[in-house]
Amino acid sequence: MSSTRDIITSFVLDTFQTGAPGHRIEEDTSFLESGLIDSMGVLELVDFLEGQFGIAVEDSELVPENLDSIRNICNYLESKGISSTGP
Amino acid sequence: MIFDKEALHIDPEGETQRICEFITQQVLSEYKRKGVVIGLSGGVDSALLACLCVRALGPERVQGLLLPEKESSPESAVFATEQAAALGIRTETVDITPLLEAFGVYEERNAIVRGLCESYDPTTDEMKITLPADLLNRDSLNVFSLIVKKPSGREFSYRLRPDQLNAIASAQNVKQRTRMIQLYFLAEKLHCVVGGTTNGTEMDQGFFVKYGDGGADIEPLAHLYKTQVFQLAEHVGVIEEIRTRTPTPDTWPGGVTDEEFYFRMPFKTLDLLLFAWNEGFSADDVCRALDLTAEQVNRAFRDFQSKQRTTWHMRALPPSLLKETSHRSAATSSVDLV
Repeated sequence: MSSTRDIITSFVLDTFQTGAPGHRIEEDTSFLESGLIDSMGVLELVDFLEGQFGIAVEDSELVPENLDSIRNICNYLESKGISSTGP
Repeated sequence: MIFDKEALHIDPEGETQRICEFITQQVLSEYKRKGVVIGLSGGVDSALLACLCVRALGPERVQGLLLPEKESSPESAVFATEQAAALGIRTETVDITPLLEAFGVYEERNAIVRGLCESYDPTTDEMKITLPADLLNRDSLNVFSLIVKKPSGREFSYRLRPDQLNAIASAQNVKQRTRMIQLYFLAEKLHCVVGGTTNGTEMDQGFFVKYGDGGADIEPLAHLYKTQVFQLAEHVGVIEEIRTRTPTPDTWPGGVTDEEFYFRMPFKTLDLLLFAWNEGFSADDVCRALDLTAEQVNRAFRDFQSKQRTTWHMRALPPSLLKETSHRSAATSSVDLV
């Protein structure tokens, strides 16, 4: 069974690096600073999180602290009651 | 070099002469055309370009084209006409509304808006898309929101899904692309070039539509930050109504400003920060000169980098496997009548 962290990592790699071979992403890589995700990408990410984990991302939560890296997303989901080690 | 608040001050007469020489060289010697066709929007960039082209080539070689549609601000055509009259140039007007209707631009876009705001009435309500305001003072992501404003003044805000944003943006961009087609339609008929009006701030940050307002033969303003455009505009006689107008794309039925729609801070601050970032000044250099904190400056720098990165393709020729040879360069590879 995939962990929450794995699910997010797979989504980010599949969606924003189009599955190019050899691509990987560190947990703390900033999506914005690395150029991985643009404004459209943020919308796709939010859409995914809401659909996959059944949460509502409030406008006030659309900040880099919550969404700018795998680790930030995991921490954010934990604050919403979703463990990063299990789905 | 030390960074200071006066970093973007230019010698207006020297810069005017430099751009006029560029226009003359390009239009007459390089392109070997009779003149320039300019889309006059009623904004400061196209007004400045018209003034510069008249000074470089004379009014008889400059043709203005007004391309309003039903959602354009009515004052845009008034100001554009006043500017053209002051310069003594010919103008034509083509209302592009029927063309946009034929593309289904309004219908498709309004259907998306109605999906979010059931009571949206395009005949009475205003509508626009904005980014979060106040970039310098809080961490936020570039997430576009749809704003619907009722006649009562009450505003409703909706976060857009990716498919909704794509659908609205693609419909809206047809406006600039239709204008580009009209400009080339007239320019080729008159054996003229199309004069581009994208300024340096817009070019750098990707604030134009690819093959829309970015589709032109020459871009004489592409090296000028917006605040420098205003400096030159005053020097060459752009009419006051245009110089004092708040910059707007004028393509949304809700009067959105450039700042609300894309840049997230006033041009005066934006341009200095963007210049500092492009020239490699440190956040400390900028803090001292502009009375900002390092956190504020770094927020701006991150935003500049993000926008520049994601819009790289708008400033480039389409990537291809075409090899440059001694017989073929970018300057001679286009298909054109000879």
